[in-house]
Amino acid sequence: MAFDADEEILQDFLVEAGEIIEKLSEQLVDLEQHPDDSDLLNAIFRGFHTVKGGAGFLQLNALVNCCHSAENVFDILRNHKRKVDSELMDVVLEALDHVNAMFEQVRHHEEPTPAPAELIAALDALAKPAAETPAVSKTAGPAPSSNETVASGDDNGDITDEEFEQLLDALQDEKASAPARAAGNGQPASADSSDGDDEISDDEFEALLDQLHGKGQFAGPPETAPAGDNKAGGASDADNSNSDELISDDEFEKLLDDLHGKGGSPTADSANASPAAADSKPATGPESGKADRPAESSAKHHRHEKSPAEGKGGATSAAPAMPSRDANAPVAETSVRVDTKRLDDIMNMVGELVLVRNRLQRLGAQSEDEHMHKAVSNLDVVTTDLQSAVMATRMQPIKKVFGRFPRVVRDLARNLKKEINLEMHGEDTDLDKNLVEALSDPLVHLVRNSVDHGIEAPDVREQAGKPRQGTVTLSAEQEGDHILLFIEDDGAGMDPDVLRRKAVEKGIYDQDAADRLTNAECYNLIFAAGFSTKDQISDVSGRGVGMDVVKTKIGQLNGQLHVESELGKGSRIVIKVPLTLAIMPTLMIMLGDQSFALPLVNVVEIFHLDLSKTNIVDGRECIVVRDKVFPLFHIKRWLVKGAAGEPEPENAHVVIVAMGTRRVGFVVDQLVGQEEVVIKPLGRALQGTPGMAGATITGDGRIALIIDVPSLLQNYG
Amino acid sequence: MKILIVDDFSTMRRIIKNLLRDLGFTNTDEADDGNTALPMLRSGKYDFLVTDWNMPGMSGLDLLKEVRADENLKTLPVLMVTAEAKRDQIVAAAQAGVNGYVVKPFTAAVLKEKIEKIFERIQ
Repeated sequence: MAFDADEEILQDFLVEAGEIIEKLSEQLVDLEQHPDDSDLLNAIFRGFHTVKGGAGFLQLNALVNCCHSAENVFDILRNHKRKVDSELMDVVLEALDHVNAMFEQVRHHEEPTPAPAELIAALDALAKPAAETPAVSKTAGPAPSSNETVASGDDNGDITDEEFEQLLDALQDEKASAPARAAGNGQPASADSSDGDDEISDDEFEALLDQLHGKGQFAGPPETAPAGDNKAGGASDADNSNSDELISDDEFEKLLDDLHGKGGSPTADSANASPAAADSKPATGPESGKADRPAESSAKHHRHEKSPAEGKGGATSAAPAMPSRDANAPVAETSVRVDTKRLDDIMNMVGELVLVRNRLQRLGAQSEDEHMHKAVSNLDVVTTDLQSAVMATRMQPIKKVFGRFPRVVRDLARNLKKEINLEMHGEDTDLDKNLVEALSDPLVHLVRNSVDHGIEAPDVREQAGKPRQGTVTLSAEQEGDHILLFIEDDGAGMDPDVLRRKAVEKGIYDQDAADRLTNAECYNLIFAAGFSTKDQISDVSGRGVGMDVVKTKIGQLNGQLHVESELGKGSRIVIKVPLTLAIMPTLMIMLGDQSFALPLVNVVEIFHLDLSKTNIVDGRECIVVRDKVFPLFHIKRWLVKGAAGEPEPENAHVVIVAMGTRRVGFVVDQLVGQEEVVIKPLGRALQGTPGMAGATITGDGRIALIIDVPSLLQNYG
Repeated sequence: MKILIVDDFSTMRRIIKNLLRDLGFTNTDEADDGNTALPMLRSGKYDFLVTDWNMPGMSGLDLLKEVRADENLKTLPVLMVTAEAKRDQIVAAAQAGVNGYVVKPFTAAVLKEKIEKIFERIQ
């Protein structure tokens, strides 16, 4: 099982690699638009590469294999040995889906399921230069091709002990290594020989270093080390600096000769080279070293060239003794990962603090004590700062949600055979993490809807004199303490008359009521439950479930949703949500002697009204304000026990509230003022009470119910 | 011994850091690519550099070249972390002056061996 690795690191990996994978899906879609963008190709290559590297440490082998194959494909692509096409993208995106699925499994502490062998084979087939592909059968997939290394996943980068032994054996005998190399070059032979070919072994590397750094500078590989240990140290530190400098041209030439001319197996040579090593000793004294080296580093590799004079040198003790030196470790980390649960707790506590502050403010206002006033107003400032600071820690860019869309749109467009260009603006707009997550599903739904219903088929667009390619624009911006999200398309737009007809057909309105609907109200019909204008249901959208869910969801976030549309030009959906869910500005009102909080988002205006001036229209009480008619509701009758039979007062305060395009007036007894409240869920017995969003504690220490305007009207209006 | 770990993937930095800690090297700093690592190296008196190969910005190989070209850093021992022990890559790294390489994934024991080998050579 893969989880003997440090759990914390696993969690880190899931978060960080998860981000990379999210980005990958975006980049992949981008790539289809810009198939020759080498920065992008590199970035994608690196994405798979990084995930693979991390997964390797966590022994998530299935993930390693899949990423490895994908990485190889992009290695070929970025080296321009193959071109990006839709088929390739389909395979790669499928691979990404599997990677995502594996991530999900790992998140749930399951062993990831390996990607299907066909997929890996398909990837491996694509990981060959285009010209070679036809010749590559699927079964041969993991084997290395002649020019490009396509090591099989398991063997990748990992020379097993057995292989290493074989390698050592091979190195003993120069001749033995040559055939192995030839075999590796010619065709995909056995794994052992191919490893020996593409991958360098420790010994080879040692030899290479010896060769590069000239003679006498370094200790040999482990087996020769004891000899070196016995020598007295004569070499100064100057040697080290010499040895690390770039090699000279001559040396480089020699290296190339050795690598290529001698069959590319430097260790094989060097094994035989030791007798010659003695030649070089005198030349590599501390002073003379560098200048003489080119001449001296003859064709052979010198693994045993260490001279007595230079052996262990004046050097200090080896690595294990080092840690004692690092007492004064400066801490360079500037960021920490924090569990969101902890942030939620902090936010909650800040919420409580806000309540206490409100209460103190109220008490302070009653007292005459100047010091008290000062302290309270100081507390006010600090609390407000603290609140915004804590909120800032919870902010995430909306990019997190937007990042999903290129893929969603691409897949849908391919599916529906439409040509669609997705534009995104304001991805860096920050909002509360919880909101980012909560907005994700509704936004996906709306975007799917725009693609499916909004944008027309290319032919239809051409006939209408539009470009074949439709555009869906997603944008986000902050407006005060709200975030505005726009989903726009340049598609067919909506026909209000069709919507009216549908509304009547579906029995949502009768003909009269439907005819009276304004165009804006018609557009909002799309959010009514069971309303779909598509006659044919596609598997993308059109069942009429969803849009009403979207509306409910946005409502739950204290958000608002409205639609604008122009027939033939396109539609635009605007979502307005508060920056945070935890703290909400409200208007406190009194009904009888009970406090209620109306979300300030909904409040449009407040005025005093002579109630005798109301009109009855269509059996409903209405008021006219500046030539506009608003239905009037006595919410006290709904919310306060025993208030239904009370006589109407002559004068009352009226609060005009808005939900989308709809505006109504609420008659209230008293207006208390504006107050920031922390939303507390209602107790279990009261949960789901229609019209109530929650409760809060007011500045005077009492409990106030927070009114959920849409659900209140739905239930009582 | 003060060690700088360079990798763009913070999880990987943490893994390497933990492995080094297991070996007793607790004085480690992190950088997320060559561009951030280089100024740190120039001002930080590091004794050892562990760098990933494949990074955006400045790759490990470019970092290595920069280090070797710097008068004050050219003797700094460098261990390169790679995904595959591909010969051409390793040869290129060796030519650029790398002191050792280690292939992902590796254990603390492997890392120890690599580090010891490097210091054996230098001394």
